Amino acid sequence: MEEGLRVKTGIVELDEMLRGGFMPGDAVMLAGSAGTGKTTLALQYLVNGVKLGEPGIYVTFEELPDQIYRDAKNFGWDLRKLEEEDKFRVVCTSPNLLMESGDDSLLDDVLRDIQPRRLVIDSLSHLEMFVKRDDMRMEAYRVVRYLKTRGVSSVLLWESPQISGGSFSVTDVGLSFLVDCIVALKPVEIESSMRKALVILKMRGSDHDKRLREFEITPTGIKIESAFTNYEGIISGSPRKIASEKFMELFRGASEKRK
Amino acid sequence: MSGSEILSTLLGSEVRGDLLVLFHRNPGLIDTVDGVARRIGRTTVAVISEVRELLVVGVLMQKRIGASEVVFLDRAKDRELLEAVANHLKTVRISGEN
Repeated sequence: MEEGLRVKTGIVELDEMLRGGFMPGDAVMLAGSAGTGKTTLALQYLVNGVKLGEPGIYVTFEELPDQIYRDAKNFGWDLRKLEEEDKFRVVCTSPNLLMESGDDSLLDDVLRDIQPRRLVIDSLSHLEMFVKRDDMRMEAYRVVRYLKTRGVSSVLLWESPQISGGSFSVTDVGLSFLVDCIVALKPVEIESSMRKALVILKMRGSDHDKRLREFEITPTGIKIESAFTNYEGIISGSPRKIASEKFMELFRGASEKRK
Repeated sequence: MSGSEILSTLLGSEVRGDLLVLFHRNPGLIDTVDGVARRIGRTTVAVISEVRELLVVGVLMQKRIGASEVVFLDRAKDRELLEAVANHLKTVRISGEN
């Protein structure tokens, strides 16, 4: 697919990793534990969308909008102004209301109102409080299909306390199969300091960067840095320097001693 | 409805004041009366009649979603009422100055 047709996140390095951006109309899962930057990345995706002429909706189940306005302002994003311009909406509701459907869906009005191209749900994990475990996949499927039918590209946040271990799974209720793309955020402890890693675990119908990339939350939003090329075992939770890097360190140490 | 009537209706009780603050700060809030009550730390019984008052004034709107009734802010009506109140307060100030 041509790069111009992709849904750009507006974060240059992430768009490069995605070979231009997400595929239009795709459902993307943004998974990570608390404090990894899911909300920041999701808001940045929407705000950058508005800059590209694509209105966006942020659906929140937990945080009240005034807290989101305040946090976004710290990154220089004036969401209230975007709302006044009818380019953005923060919808705050309960997960059960989002799932209840009669003639009207909760989102129908707001979709008609600003005709969004992008939508974020923060977070899909909250559905678990109202849906039986066995029905979770079906209900999530309904939400994904509702958005896809309307041509809206969605980012669904998922709180995954542990993306680690040899055979890790992002969700334990099978949602990974429902979505077209999975971006995982993960805290990593390296040499006694906490750093953050981002990886694209899945992207249907497209090549993508498979490397783990370090990222930082800066005063202007998410900034993606280089890949963790010198380490292995990051996902499994026990990062260690790769053998060649250890050898280089020894070599550097020895040559400095000689001096 | 005159400016002073709107003002006295909007600020007729403490709970109504809490509701207005909640919806003003969070204009995208869509919830059941039960959910709204929880968000301001009150009981449904304490909130239900106050919500009804705000529905009558038009600052809140109601809609059926599946089996639930939800309430939300009517942004246009809200702006209109705020303007009416602001104009009223200006008149009060001017007459007070004379």
